[in-house]
Amino acid sequence: MAESICRALRDGALQGEHAPALTIKDSIASPFGFHVFTHLLTQLSSNILAAKSQSRGLVLVAFSRSPSFYLDLLNRKGIDVASSQKWIEILDCYTDPLGWKDALLASENGGSLSNEASTGASLCRNVKDMDKLYSSIIELGKGIVGQGKVRFCVAIDSVNEILRHASISSVAGLLSNLRSNDRVSSIFWLSHSDLHEDRVTAVLEYMSSMVASIEPLNQSANGRRCNWESLPLLEHNYWKGRFHVRFKRRNGRVRVMSEEFHVEQSAINFRSISSEDEIVNRSLLPKVQFNLQLSEKEQIDRAKVVLPFEHQGTGKPIQIYDGRRSLTDGKSETEPVSTGILQTNENSSKGEIIYLRDSDDERPDSDEDPDDDLDI
Amino acid sequence: MDSKAWTLIKLINCRPDVHNHWPGVAGSREPPLKSESTASTLSTKSLLTITYTPGLKYGPNGTIFISSGIPDLDKILGGGFPLGSLVMVMEDAEAPHHMLLLRNFMSQGLVHKQPLLYASPSKDPKGFLGTLPTPGASKDDKSRDHDPENENGLRIAWQYKKYFGENQHHFDSNRDVKHEYCHDFDLRKPLEKHFISGQHIDCVSILDSPNLAALRDRCATFLAQFPRNDSSISSAGRISIQSFCAPQCKYSNMEWDMLSFIRSLRSVIRSSNAVAVVTFPPSLLSPSFSRRWQHMADTLLSVRAIPDEDKEMAKLLTGYQDMVGLLNVHKVAHINTQVPVILDATTFSIKLQKRRFLVLESLNQAPIDSSSGTSYGTSASCSGSSKSGTLDF
Repeated sequence: MAESICRALRDGALQGEHAPALTIKDSIASPFGFHVFTHLLTQLSSNILAAKSQSRGLVLVAFSRSPSFYLDLLNRKGIDVASSQKWIEILDCYTDPLGWKDALLASENGGSLSNEASTGASLCRNVKDMDKLYSSIIELGKGIVGQGKVRFCVAIDSVNEILRHASISSVAGLLSNLRSNDRVSSIFWLSHSDLHEDRVTAVLEYMSSMVASIEPLNQSANGRRCNWESLPLLEHNYWKGRFHVRFKRRNGRVRVMSEEFHVEQSAINFRSISSEDEIVNRSLLPKVQFNLQLSEKEQIDRAKVVLPFEHQGTGKPIQIYDGRRSLTDGKSETEPVSTGILQTNENSSKGEIIYLRDSDDERPDSDEDPDDDLDI
Repeated sequence: MDSKAWTLIKLINCRPDVHNHWPGVAGSREPPLKSESTASTLSTKSLLTITYTPGLKYGPNGTIFISSGIPDLDKILGGGFPLGSLVMVMEDAEAPHHMLLLRNFMSQGLVHKQPLLYASPSKDPKGFLGTLPTPGASKDDKSRDHDPENENGLRIAWQYKKYFGENQHHFDSNRDVKHEYCHDFDLRKPLEKHFISGQHIDCVSILDSPNLAALRDRCATFLAQFPRNDSSISSAGRISIQSFCAPQCKYSNMEWDMLSFIRSLRSVIRSSNAVAVVTFPPSLLSPSFSRRWQHMADTLLSVRAIPDEDKEMAKLLTGYQDMVGLLNVHKVAHINTQVPVILDATTFSIKLQKRRFLVLESLNQAPIDSSSGTSYGTSASCSGSSKSGTLDF
């Protein structure tokens, strides 16, 4: 649910906890991850500008698009980028990630270095160094919000790009360092799951507290489309899909939610699913037993039941009830002899035992002829 | 009939070679030839003649157990974790329940003054010690802990009962909190400082180590303090390694190295009086390695998250609201024996009783609405209410 994600990112981290982290994951079957990313980016930005969020600034690490693209995007969505108070910084890892242009220009004698002096963007020339990347992000963030306790958000455009240059363990280290830094309010990133091995996706999911996956409407086997669908219909369904989110809650439970989304003209709309497919987690419960234990309340109630053969201390002899209705003398004691279930009467403090007899024709029970050993 | 001759003595776990005051009988349930009052003192005396180290329990086949810190888990595993075994806990990437197990394990060791080695992928493992729970209130207020030897469970109208006046004493010489084998830990209150300071606690961060040589050396020196030989045990050691293949560790893609570390740890532990608990997320390993790691374990547990607000599950299970996760017992250590341990149930629900105490319960099916389903599935006994069929005799 996009709303819940936006809320979670907006609310940010509690004191002493890691910042919430979101992985947006898509695949070639439904490649709208970037739309979701920009949607969340604009939502978070408007929240920051309206001062509704925990964070006061946003650091955007741009790998797959240039910083000017993002600035245009935000301007189009009506978000004031060049406002008086600086709230966004973009770390430009798109223009010259490995420093080649720099090296080229330096090798041509006297070539002037073209500085990317666009607003709000600083250049990163070495994306292989995770420590440097980390410190640049933190510096930029502190540059926005100052030295106090105010936090900022981090958005990473595409983790796949980082993974081209660095190993998964160093990227995991970067993400966990960002999450545990107490200046970071929340962090989210986009990953295309089919660009990497499953293990990489598993690691990214391990590092995050929310996982949003984008799936096509019709999941056909091996991603191949069904042959009998007509082309216009295919094209129509291409722009729609399912948006599944898994939240890892603090108490250790996982909240699973789904929505449908529809992309039209580079804007993405979410709506809730009309027909719910209930996924029953039967696989989790192999052997479920019946409860043979008694809860506390049940134990107390059981202790209150007066058993038939025990002396109640009143000095009266106890009649043994054999279940036949013919017993006419009134009893001040409770009805004796039980079946498997003990039931308690809420009104009286004494418990009751309810005995249903099979039939009246049966011969008398051996209850009527007790042993000498018994104490009745 | 001499009622005193019929007095039952609580079974005391003791090693076979312990000098027994009852000649010819080693720890079996037989009526003593002496009076009960001396029998009770006899049993306490015989307990004290064993080198009674708090925190150790002697079990069958010469195994010695230490407590896991969770009373229910000790019961499920048949006494606790046996010394010399490697316990592995498979984490679920979506839930932090393995931390609950580790916390109880470590706190129990500190309360019993057992030295501890803790390794974790965080930069400052010492910080974790601040989250360890403290032992909660004593067992008196737990009504669910019913004593099976207590004869009040079965009430019989027996005319000789009146001779049994002095029957109901408990051999609870271990009621003293200090000597209790397994404490109930209150997860909301942190452990008192005196347990942590001045103790042999070694914290290691495995985040930046490029390979596992340093950790291997630390474990080896730690375990050298607890060699296993025929002399009596002075104390037992505990090793806990958290999230061993966490992705931010530099060695985490060296799968064969990690496997050989586990294998060497297991072999050194076998000849020591210590227990190691290693947690790892199996989803971050390749399937074949995940299998290999699972085979390395003596005791294998796994924790799993449960979905939140799942109506199907709420209908299927009782107590779904209180559950925070599931615990599966895949393997139970059986050292020195060829008899496997077969459990009644292998899946347990993890609940936090009163939000404080970790409780494991077997999964119970919610009562099926009797108006809808067939009646034979609902109750266990009940011959009276079922329809009489052809098998009525």
